[in-house]
Amino acid sequence: MQAWIEFGQGPLFRFAFVLMALGLARIFVLTLVNVAEAYRRNPDKIINYREVFNKTVAWFIPAGRLWRKRPVYSLVSFLFHAGLILVPLFLAAHVSLWRQSTGFGWFSLPQGLADALTLIALAGALILFLMRAFYAPARALSRRQDYAWPLLLAVPFLTGYLMVNVSVSASGYQWMMLLHLYSAALIMILIPFTKIAHCILAPLSQVVTAVSWKFPAGAGDRVLETLGLEDRPTWVDKPRLGIEREMTRELPEVKPAEKEAKAS
Amino acid sequence: MKAILTDTTLCIGCRDCVVACRKANALEPEVPRRWETRDGLSARNWTSIVERPGPVYVRKQCRHCLEPACASACPVGALRRTPEGAVVYDGSKCMGCRYCMMACPYGIPRYDWDLAVPYVRKCILCYDRLKEGKQPACTEICPTEATIFGDREALLQEARRRIRENPGRYADKIWGETEVGGTSVFYISDADLSFLTRGRELAQTPMPAHTASAMHAVPFAFFGMAATMAGISWIIGRRMDLQQKSPEDKKDDDHE
Amino acid sequence: MNRVRNFKLFLWALLGLGAAVGTARFMFGLGATTNLSDAVPWGLWIGFDVMSGVALAAGGFVLTATVYIFRLERFHGIVRAAVLTAFLGYVAVAVGLLFDLGLPWNIWHMIIFWNPHSPLFEVGWCVMLYLTVLLLEFFPVPAESFSGLAKVRNFLVKLRLPLVIAGISLSTLHQSSLGSLFLIMPYHVHPLWYSPILPVIFFLSAIALGLMMVTFEGLISSYLYRRAPETDILAKLGAAARWVLLLYLGVRFTDLAARGQLGHLADGGWQVTLFWMEIALSAAIPAALLFIPRVRHSLAGLWIVAPMAVTGIVFNRINVGGLVHQQRGETLYLPAWTEIAISAAVVAAAALAFLYFVEKFHVWERRPQDPEAAPAALPRFDVASFASLGSPLVRSRTLYSLAFVFAAAFGFSLLSGEALSSRGVDPAPVEEARGGDTLWIDGNLDGFGTAFAHRRHVERLGGDSTSCALCHHLNVPRDRQSGCYSCHRDMYSVSDAFGHDRHASPAGAALGCFDCHAPDAVKSAQSAKECADCHKDLIPAGAVIEVEDYQAAGYTEAMHQVCLGCHQQQAEAVEKPDLPRCGTCHREHKLLVDDPLLAQRYQRLESRGVIVPEVLEEHFQGIRLAALPQEPVTQIDEP
Repeated sequence: MQAWIEFGQGPLFRFAFVLMALGLARIFVLTLVNVAEAYRRNPDKIINYREVFNKTVAWFIPAGRLWRKRPVYSLVSFLFHAGLILVPLFLAAHVSLWRQSTGFGWFSLPQGLADALTLIALAGALILFLMRAFYAPARALSRRQDYAWPLLLAVPFLTGYLMVNVSVSASGYQWMMLLHLYSAALIMILIPFTKIAHCILAPLSQVVTAVSWKFPAGAGDRVLETLGLEDRPTWVDKPRLGIEREMTRELPEVKPAEKEAKAS
Repeated sequence: MKAILTDTTLCIGCRDCVVACRKANALEPEVPRRWETRDGLSARNWTSIVERPGPVYVRKQCRHCLEPACASACPVGALRRTPEGAVVYDGSKCMGCRYCMMACPYGIPRYDWDLAVPYVRKCILCYDRLKEGKQPACTEICPTEATIFGDREALLQEARRRIRENPGRYADKIWGETEVGGTSVFYISDADLSFLTRGRELAQTPMPAHTASAMHAVPFAFFGMAATMAGISWIIGRRMDLQQKSPEDKKDDDHE
Repeated sequence: MNRVRNFKLFLWALLGLGAAVGTARFMFGLGATTNLSDAVPWGLWIGFDVMSGVALAAGGFVLTATVYIFRLERFHGIVRAAVLTAFLGYVAVAVGLLFDLGLPWNIWHMIIFWNPHSPLFEVGWCVMLYLTVLLLEFFPVPAESFSGLAKVRNFLVKLRLPLVIAGISLSTLHQSSLGSLFLIMPYHVHPLWYSPILPVIFFLSAIALGLMMVTFEGLISSYLYRRAPETDILAKLGAAARWVLLLYLGVRFTDLAARGQLGHLADGGWQVTLFWMEIALSAAIPAALLFIPRVRHSLAGLWIVAPMAVTGIVFNRINVGGLVHQQRGETLYLPAWTEIAISAAVVAAAALAFLYFVEKFHVWERRPQDPEAAPAALPRFDVASFASLGSPLVRSRTLYSLAFVFAAAFGFSLLSGEALSSRGVDPAPVEEARGGDTLWIDGNLDGFGTAFAHRRHVERLGGDSTSCALCHHLNVPRDRQSGCYSCHRDMYSVSDAFGHDRHASPAGAALGCFDCHAPDAVKSAQSAKECADCHKDLIPAGAVIEVEDYQAAGYTEAMHQVCLGCHQQQAEAVEKPDLPRCGTCHREHKLLVDDPLLAQRYQRLESRGVIVPEVLEEHFQGIRLAALPQEPVTQIDEP
């Protein structure tokens, strides 16, 4: 048991961490290279970079269009991401491990705040999973890995919280440590090869769309406007899914005043 | 020209010299490492006491050769011999090729293997103290005066006197008097000290002389080769020109 | 199956592994990533990367001489590849050297700090200059593809003959000077290899190796790109190589005979076996085979001869470079896997660069077809399978970088903290007190120690657990700032002083988490209780040693401090003045020999207050180790 834990703390952790770091750097660079290549091939090189930039920034702030359309989802998602990013990076125990092994340490969260963020992340994972499972439009768009991810991400948070806050027997502690280490390693190994890669690709998402596919920013809205379908959501293909009735019930109404404000 | 005479028959193996050396040169304490050698010298031990059967205590340190192999080998001149006789090291010039360690016939220089910014380490005869007119820390501290500091000639005479006046006490040899051109650290002993050179007798030829002839040939080799090649090229070129003028004379000139 | 792609994948993986090891090399130093030591300062990186690398690149000057000086035009087809190999080979040598040098950022010092007596200085300069010459020689090839460079190209082509002559002269110098490097080690290099004409031997073997390497490289590239190999040209190279090899053999043995060292061949040591292996692989068998026309002209024959000769001569360089240095190492040097990984990565990088140039420019008469050239597939844009626009270049990029990333991560997982710290001592679990009856204290492992009556000392000092602390754990007494982990770095693994699991296990104290760790704090070393909070008697109030600093003393010093301090105090208490003297513990001490000269010195020293062991016959006569443990205590007991 101890040997397995040491393997998880040593070789496995180093493997997973380096694979994650280099793997993310790799897809980031590859994406940039591909964008450059697409740009070179594209005869139409006029791209509104200012709008692309604004859109990219807008997606990082939980106050945009999604906030108005699905406030619960937007808020939960934001808090979930906050916990997901802050706790592993700034947990005092993690920072002190880094300091012990490499000599470098950094700012760490107070334990109380870290615990709170952990609980928020856990709750967020659960809520996001349920929303995906029981909200039809989302379910229609989901692949299997989309259901698995919130659950997998919750494992190291749950075990970590239990290890710190609940007094358990020595062997129980070891089992949880094992689970904590191996689930975290699995996550790190999978990150650069799955959709979680958006953690580094997110800033590029709008550029990729704008350059590679030559969709001007806001093209979707303009198409809908042209078709006279402004009040329909752009992110789901209603007729194909055949769920128009459910959606009209669930979606908040878009008020004309807001629409005008956005158009201007 | 200064020197150190070590008389192993007087050494009681107290290692005060080792401690004094460490203090004088501000060396860090020794930790056991993979690369430690049995003679006890390391990057953090510039002198050591080797205990030989008998027991005989032999203090090992840089021999400060009169014509040092290390200084001759160093491509950037980081090692040099001062007029006082010390072979000193300038870490700011060193590029870490370790050719000095390969070249030393006594296997003295050590390396900071455990550091990301490593330097060559060896006894420098406490050169800073020497310049202040003081003697090295090791000879100063020695309680039995087994290792003493002075002018090379005077110490050689003292060594010869001890051997002459104490028949049977010493082997009739001063280790370091003439071998590899002479060293500034030499030994008299009742035991055989050839273990200092891995059991091999060193010739009197100074170490730099071994490479000198090859190095002297360098300019001749360079210009000789260049002239030969230019000559051959000219001759063959001319022959080919002639052949082109008289095509019936054509023949294959390469060897199979 | 795609040979080129698989080969490149393999090379990229090697590069990834090398990247991981290289990071460790520059972060933790040479000791962490090599098996080098003070006894073996040069290893694989010099023997293979530098010495063999330079020799392997000798094809460049041999073929430029053949084509541009001797005007043997039929070799023109391979001269570009040979120059490219030489250029990349020398770049690889320089890069390999950067890993080996302790202070690689000082490599330019060779330009400003001169020591013309040093063969290495000459080698360094020649390599620098020759690298420049090779760059100028090869530059016209890539310049063909850029019309803007036409002027430069024409100028360099006009300069070709002087460049070639300079290249040949420089190569002659440094190929031979690599041999001169070892002339200064007449007492190390085995007499079967050491010779005043080492420079000549190195030069000859470099020519042979150059020819064989060009052959080998032609074979490999024709295999990879499925080209028809230029068998007739390669046969001609072999025909030339056999004479060089024969000459080399002749020189080696004539030299041995002239120096009167032939007798060593009968010694029968492992060096002699090595010598025959080297001679057979490098020259004897290849030369013999090359004299058979059928071997020379057949692909299979060349596939046997060329790799064999290349291996053999590389073997020679490694032998001279350190393997046959007599008594250099008290322990056998074998390269660490990390050393091999770096060497392999440097070679892989050079090979990838070679393939790049070959595919991109007219190194060969016919540029090889890009094996990945396929009609562009439809673009895909999925994060899981990566943004792929369908072009073969992008696809191979995706694949190669994947190999690199996985290999680098794998490399990092193999670089363990313990290996990097290079500790000579394995951490031992301290679960039970390890006090024995009699300890043979001999930290230097040279047989000159003392038999320490451990149990007697324990009994004398009280006999309970408090007595341990009178000698052990004295350096950091009552220091609340630094916990046990500040010295025992690995105490939170199972090893060394603190066994975390043992404290939690029923066999130990069966403690729960919060018995030591505060419930509201992070479970780390800092937040845990100090050892002394439970182990009350770990550090006694009357600790003997005054703490000067917090750094551990050397072994000999530490032992002497611990014992002598106590013995000096006790000497007065029990009125036994001999107690602090050397002979009390070191019974076999040489000083016990009665010597008038020494006695005179001791008297003088004693008058200055230095304690000198008394000369006591019974202290060293007829004492056996087995009887020793009784002695010190008996002595103390007698007032």
